[in-house]
Amino acid sequence: MEFLGYKRENGKFGVRNHVLVLSSVACANGVVDAIARALPDVVPVTHVYGCGSGPEDIGVSIRTLNGLMNNPNVGAVLIIGLGCENVSSSMLTMGVQDKPVEALLIQESGGSAATTARGIEIAARFLKELEAQERVPAPVSELMVGLKSGGSDVFSGITANPAVGVAADRFVREGATVILTEMTEMAGTAHILKSRCCTPELGEQVGNLIDEHRRNVRASLGELAGLSISLGNIDGGLSSITEKSLGCIMKSGTTPITELIEHAGRPSRRGLIIMAGPGYDIDSMAAEAAAGSQIILFTTGRGTPAGFPAVPVIKITSNSLTYNKMPGDADINAGSIVDSEKTIDVVGREIFDFSIEVANGRKTCAEINRAIPFNYLKQGPTY
Amino acid sequence: MGNNAFKINARDNIVVATQPIKKGEAVVVDGEPLIDAVEDIAAGYKVAIVEVAEGKKVYCYGEPIVEATRTIRPGEWTHVHNTRPIPGA
Repeated sequence: MEFLGYKRENGKFGVRNHVLVLSSVACANGVVDAIARALPDVVPVTHVYGCGSGPEDIGVSIRTLNGLMNNPNVGAVLIIGLGCENVSSSMLTMGVQDKPVEALLIQESGGSAATTARGIEIAARFLKELEAQERVPAPVSELMVGLKSGGSDVFSGITANPAVGVAADRFVREGATVILTEMTEMAGTAHILKSRCCTPELGEQVGNLIDEHRRNVRASLGELAGLSISLGNIDGGLSSITEKSLGCIMKSGTTPITELIEHAGRPSRRGLIIMAGPGYDIDSMAAEAAAGSQIILFTTGRGTPAGFPAVPVIKITSNSLTYNKMPGDADINAGSIVDSEKTIDVVGREIFDFSIEVANGRKTCAEINRAIPFNYLKQGPTY
Repeated sequence: MGNNAFKINARDNIVVATQPIKKGEAVVVDGEPLIDAVEDIAAGYKVAIVEVAEGKKVYCYGEPIVEATRTIRPGEWTHVHNTRPIPGA
């Protein structure tokens, strides 16, 4: 099976052809925003970091920003830096492979107004160059699909997540790559995920990492960690962390786990990959985008508008009430499963088919709404 | 018959109410009445479709999720008041 994508020099295929305008540090955000106001077709990426961080954070910072710039959906990159920050523009520029990249430093380019004017010139040229590129057929095996859930409710685990699992199985059968993360939501299911690993060694690694994550959450939250099945969850009908997590990992379908990668790392294998990391929506999506995901499947019970820069995020609601009370925020309603209108398999096929349409260029709700928050995982202190 | 509950996996000994079920009403999955509810069941809550003896496991998603702290009757609400997490899970 094929989709129509933008072929990159490294042989990968994007489902979008975006010009990314990225701050290397929060101090440069104003110029990035000004460029994006002048050129609404660019994808601005601003954040609150880039300086004042220690060794605990430098690895994730560089992997996330480099990974996003190298994501196949990005056709060209303009980096806006200040000049004295820790995460330097030149270091970021060197990490971009096989696509046009330029960097401007506000301290060296005549201040904000002059840097904005020069940035608009460069980004406009990139937009024009990318416009000339046409989509070409590519096998679905070239797709990497990130899985995510946010604002889950009691129906997430019985409608939206298993339907995404059906779609995930189909992607893996087509030879594609699927990423499951959110280790907070794996507690209590280590025995199941271990048994799904390709090798016993990989199973041990996955089990150990789930345990480690659980310990870290406990160290941070103390007694509250025991309630990571929360009172609200119990009121909603969940009886144990195992039940809650089982609902979450339904997104991963039934195929074997082929690899475990670090947060925002790059898979070296295809099939179902587990990525280390927490469950916070924006951080998780950043790591999946950095891994190279061209599409993210995002299930929600309570409803959330959040998409992500340069990566189309497909929203799937778990219940019809949420789908109907936030019109224009969700692409697919898996609530039809409990309304007895459709089966999990039927909705799963709809999700797969819709994903291919999105790969071919159809815009998702979050893209239409330009809901593209950006953030990335920070674990160490700020200096 | 109109469905009011959902069975996630064929191995499960509980089903999930998709709408409120009154005491005495049939629990209906895929058009089939499975059992009568022996108490009111709120939407989103689990109801046993067979007897679960004390110490036996409750299956959801085809996996054991908790164990019964007392015998749970068919049609009974199955939640934290009559189950506990499986030790070591």
